[in-house]
Amino acid sequence: MVAEWRWIRADLLARRAQVALTVLAVAGIVAALVTAATLLEEGTNPWRGLFTRGHGAHVWIHTKDAPDVAELRGLTGVTEIAGPYVSAPATLAAGGRKVPVALQEAPAVPPKVATPLMTEGRWLDPADPGGVVVERSFATATGLRPGSAFTVTGLDGATHALFVKGVAESGDQGFYPDWAPGLAWTLRQTLSTVEPAPGRSENVTGLRLADPEDTNLVVQRSVTVLAGQVQRVATWREVRASMELDNRLLGLLLALFGAAGLVGAALALANATGGRVLGQLRDLATLKSLGFTPRQVSAMLLAEHGLLGLLGILIGLAAGHVITAATLRVPPSPGQLAAIGLGTILIVLVAVLLPAWRGGRTAPIPAAPAVPPHGRLSRLARLALLVRLPPALVLGTRDAFTRRTPAVLTSAGLAVPMMMITIGLGCWATLDDFTANPAKVGQAAALSVRPGDLGAGEARLRAMADPAVLAAYPGVELDALVPWQTRTVRTRALGSSTAPYPFHVIEGRMFRERGEAVAGQGLLDLLSIRIGDRVRLTVGGTPLIVHIVGRVIEPEQDGEVLSFGIDTLAAKDAVPPHFYALVLKDGADAREVRARLLGSDRGLEVTQTVNPADRLAVIRVIIVALVVVLALIGLTTLLTASALGLRDHRRDLAVLQAMGLTPRQVMATLVTGTGILAVLGVLSGAAAGALLSRALIDWEGHGSGVGAGIGRAPTPATLAAAVLIAVGACLLVALIPARRAARARVPVTAG
Amino acid sequence: MTVLRTLNLVRIYQNGGVPVPAVRGVDFAVEAGEFVAIMGPSGSGKSTLVHMLGGLDVRTSGEIWLDGKRVDTLSESAWAVLRRKKIGFVFQFYNLVTNMTVADNVELPALLAGMSPREARERREYLLGELSLTERAFAAPAELSGGEQQRVALARALANGPRLLLADEPTGNLDSRNTRDVLKLLGEVHRQGQTVVVVTHDAKVASKADRVVTLADGMIVDDASMRRRRLPPGTAGDVVELRG
Repeated sequence: MVAEWRWIRADLLARRAQVALTVLAVAGIVAALVTAATLLEEGTNPWRGLFTRGHGAHVWIHTKDAPDVAELRGLTGVTEIAGPYVSAPATLAAGGRKVPVALQEAPAVPPKVATPLMTEGRWLDPADPGGVVVERSFATATGLRPGSAFTVTGLDGATHALFVKGVAESGDQGFYPDWAPGLAWTLRQTLSTVEPAPGRSENVTGLRLADPEDTNLVVQRSVTVLAGQVQRVATWREVRASMELDNRLLGLLLALFGAAGLVGAALALANATGGRVLGQLRDLATLKSLGFTPRQVSAMLLAEHGLLGLLGILIGLAAGHVITAATLRVPPSPGQLAAIGLGTILIVLVAVLLPAWRGGRTAPIPAAPAVPPHGRLSRLARLALLVRLPPALVLGTRDAFTRRTPAVLTSAGLAVPMMMITIGLGCWATLDDFTANPAKVGQAAALSVRPGDLGAGEARLRAMADPAVLAAYPGVELDALVPWQTRTVRTRALGSSTAPYPFHVIEGRMFRERGEAVAGQGLLDLLSIRIGDRVRLTVGGTPLIVHIVGRVIEPEQDGEVLSFGIDTLAAKDAVPPHFYALVLKDGADAREVRARLLGSDRGLEVTQTVNPADRLAVIRVIIVALVVVLALIGLTTLLTASALGLRDHRRDLAVLQAMGLTPRQVMATLVTGTGILAVLGVLSGAAAGALLSRALIDWEGHGSGVGAGIGRAPTPATLAAAVLIAVGACLLVALIPARRAARARVPVTAG
Repeated sequence: MTVLRTLNLVRIYQNGGVPVPAVRGVDFAVEAGEFVAIMGPSGSGKSTLVHMLGGLDVRTSGEIWLDGKRVDTLSESAWAVLRRKKIGFVFQFYNLVTNMTVADNVELPALLAGMSPREARERREYLLGELSLTERAFAAPAELSGGEQQRVALARALANGPRLLLADEPTGNLDSRNTRDVLKLLGEVHRQGQTVVVVTHDAKVASKADRVVTLADGMIVDDASMRRRRLPPGTAGDVVELRG
């Protein structure tokens, strides 16, 4: 073992820069993966981030009276206690609407456990007893902002004027309206004014646990300890479940990028290891002549390069941890870290195994220095020289293909990252297309209006009165029962069969008659049906048979939505419509229209449609990160190729110089040798990416239920810019060592 | 005692489906403590023969016996293990491991053979001292002259006190002064009882040997013992003994 370690140490010390680059590339990929996974989790389930940042309580116990805190604190597994806080129900009135709210007591100094995380405004102040802090999702839904005035009505019927002092997030309660009633924090004195009778309020106490897995046990124990006082218990699991956003498209895209990153890393490592082994064949042969067995040589190479990979992984995991903790203020989950760590270790081993095995198989005769196989000038090359193409170009081109396998590896090593970059740009273009043409993703209507207290007809009239509104389609959304399914699917009646809402139909046709419907890919997959089939479902107790005539792009509910005209529904379900979908005139700003509709006290509830691109915004960050990492991978591959090319041509250089080539021509030969492979790789990668990106994104769309038909290839200008930058960078990287080599004086006889 | 014996050793390479015989039935034996030089023109099969004797190349047919054991049937790994203890190699291009220092190069075979790092260091210090290389111990091979590199290669080959030292053109890449130094060293180790087989073009090298085996077209054409030449004149030793 000592002999092997001695050699490994010597080899690592002999090529520190290369070692550093390899470790850096692997670390970069791992860090990007960790960050991407955390971003995804943060995007699809913000609970863990909020909970960690707010130092939340795992269990919330609602009791009639204040519980015995000492007893709760004494429970095994409980580390800290939040509260008990008095909480009272009330009705909040703002902007002509009345909604229930839970007013919860909070100390004047933000508490240490279950801290509300301020996003706007300020925390409660005893000098300002009328100021409350409103939970963010509730504030958004009710249109409250810091400074907004509102009234609350207690159970005794008395109305109190309050105002919003601040807006805060919390991981201790789900988002409004999924988690109702909304939450507002007030000072004890304010609460006593609104609800003076202690009998009508309750106490909430938060327990923070040492191990979240003990939740059930702690709940049982606390119920026993508090014997009969407990009214209800809420745990972190329910909160997390309510915050979870099911977004398969995002998950799939991320998985795609993750896989691409791993393939890129594997290629880079295989290339670096392979190149190193190829450069060391003579040394390896010498080792074998000294008595190293083939297995020993393989194990030694595997250990050396595997350890570099492992080091990269460890640094990457640590860096990912630091990056996510610093930028997202939430560390990655241990499960993700472990999965990424194990996955990359596996990839590293696979990538290193083949070159290590090849190294072990080296013939033990070290006498002949490793020289590339001597190729002859092809007929084409001779012709090229004859027509006076620059000799450097011809010689360099010939050199590029002298060793076939490394040439293919180098080109592939650059083509794969370039392909992934192109696909990433395709994703970017797709997102841009979502934003630019929301109608194509089934979002022709930028606004949706709910009548609120007004009659439906009145609401429609008022909405249509706005000059920017082109059309208002009446809509009803209902859950429908489908035979053989244990769950419901969303049905959306929007527009009528004669004046249908402008759905973006990808396959089949739009519905034209009553009883015809279009569906998202998710629904077709869920029910295993095709266009042309009939589906029987039960909507609001009424059986309904619809004929599926087309498929639309459906970004909602993972595509599990059935859409038809409102006249298809039974009158009792269709009248009055729940909402109107407003299609605006070209160029109208949805935000302005919404403000106009909301602002003139028309009693309308107006919501702006969320573009899928906004929900997938996190992908853009990931694309940028991925491009950086992929570029790093490409760089590693290129440096390996360049070093190998130089090694192969050390002797040729002297001969070329002796033949009368100027240093500049020698340099051009070397740059051409590496550059031509790089250009080939970049071009083929970009071409493959451009061809594939549309199909791949469509495939992802299909898999996510949104449906095929969303994919866009990157625009020609973007693609051209990406290719030019990549080729330029490659040539630049090849130029530096070539310049140095061309200037060095190499004796012709060097062995 | 016979250290090495070959029986009808044959090596045929395949070149694009055409068999090219490199060694065609070599029978010879090396006694313990003998210094044998193998000579012959380029392409006569000298290097192939010595590579086969050390297990670096595989024989097509025939037998190789080392220390009374048949070794031609060994696997590549078994040959490697055998080389650690019993065979030292010196090559024309020195073949020091480029990324290791002189000291590491010499210690490596000792460590490989199972010596403790301390023993390996002591052995290295002794060998480098003997070869006047002590002050170059921590230099990289590239910083050494050809002669120095070949001396280090010799020290490395002797690190485990092998039964057999095989040298393939050890002076082929050296100037006359360095050739003289290396030959002197080879002579010294031979005087200490080391069995040496040297492949060479160089008559000066052959003149140091006890016996000169001449190869042509892969066959032994001459096997001459030189030792008797040093016997007083007037004896039968005046006549060069020729063997088949």
